[in-house]
Amino acid sequence: MSPDGAAAGWLDDLGRALRRENVDGWHHDQVLAEARQHLADSGEDPLVAFGPAVDYARLLAGELAGAPVTPPPSVGPARLLVEGVVKTYRGRPVLTGVDLAVAGGEVAAVIGPNGVGKSTLLRICAGLESPDAGSVTVTGGLGYCPQRPALVDLLRAEEHMELVGAGRGLSRAEARRHGARLAADLDWVPDRRLVGDLSGGTRQKLNVVLAALGDPAVLLLDEPYQGFDGESFLDFWEQVWHWRDEGRAVVVVTHRPEQLKRVDRVLDLGREGAVARRRSR
Amino acid sequence: MADDRRAQWLRGVLDLCVLAELERGESYGYGVAQALEGLGLGPVPGGTLYPVLGRLERAELIRSRWVDSAAGPPRKYYAVTADGQALLAREREQWAGFAARVGTALSQAAPR
Repeated sequence: MSPDGAAAGWLDDLGRALRRENVDGWHHDQVLAEARQHLADSGEDPLVAFGPAVDYARLLAGELAGAPVTPPPSVGPARLLVEGVVKTYRGRPVLTGVDLAVAGGEVAAVIGPNGVGKSTLLRICAGLESPDAGSVTVTGGLGYCPQRPALVDLLRAEEHMELVGAGRGLSRAEARRHGARLAADLDWVPDRRLVGDLSGGTRQKLNVVLAALGDPAVLLLDEPYQGFDGESFLDFWEQVWHWRDEGRAVVVVTHRPEQLKRVDRVLDLGREGAVARRRSR
Repeated sequence: MADDRRAQWLRGVLDLCVLAELERGESYGYGVAQALEGLGLGPVPGGTLYPVLGRLERAELIRSRWVDSAAGPPRKYYAVTADGQALLAREREQWAGFAARVGTALSQAAPR
């Protein structure tokens, strides 16, 4: 293998190893970029310079875990404020006074068994439904990723980006460019196929890309990774930490417990009098 | 082995050497590694150096910025902060005293 090939392979290994160690988002990119630069500058064998990728990743993860808490990206006023939201369906109370405040630079997870109103809450936050009582205040732009992709089968991915981008003040070229970048972060390269011909996982990726188009301040994501394979699932969460680092307020409905220990707030709708628990991180 | 011992010595003071090097001027990872090697401190592998840079940065003794380079990807440059300079001034003195005492301990003449 050429030295370049060895470096590229080692860097790939490092990227994966870092993610397994839960080093992702901003730190992940910094470490990778710096190691890549070092190897390019020095022409050294990565194994000599850094040792096995797995060990180096573990070392860095340990360093970060032991680090004094990095200054939280100044938790400011709530970008999304849900106050006392009540919703009743066909006489059955679904949401009974839900409170949730998510500031820029925070991720909130909404959890609970099926039918407790997770998707309903997000639809109310997105302004698609009205609460029977209570209020929702959103400061800044809003991106919403519904559980089932709302796509037009006879249009291409890029045409979706142009349409949604137009609604957020992006030119067609800007929308396509930003969409392509978001897609690349999810390891997807949009092609010319009609959306109706795409796999379920790819349709979900388009769904996420459309929600994030134009960098809205508030992102509402309703279990958007159904149909993702394992690697795409990690890509998705890495993207979530990115958005947090960029100062967005992110709400994710999830069934999956893996990431809960890393989010800032957990709203468990399965419990009486659901109030978001603040987590320290 | 002599090399092993030297590596151990260096481990104890590498963060200070890195701080001192950055006090002489803003630099990036590989630049610091080369400078330290040029001073005869032996090779400092990236796997040792970058964690030290990370620790110093988290302690806010150094700060970093990405600088676009004419050729190739942007480079992460580090510079000493005021806190870093203050710490370096203190530790520099401490080290000089310690090194002198080790020198005495190792000297052939009997200590007073």
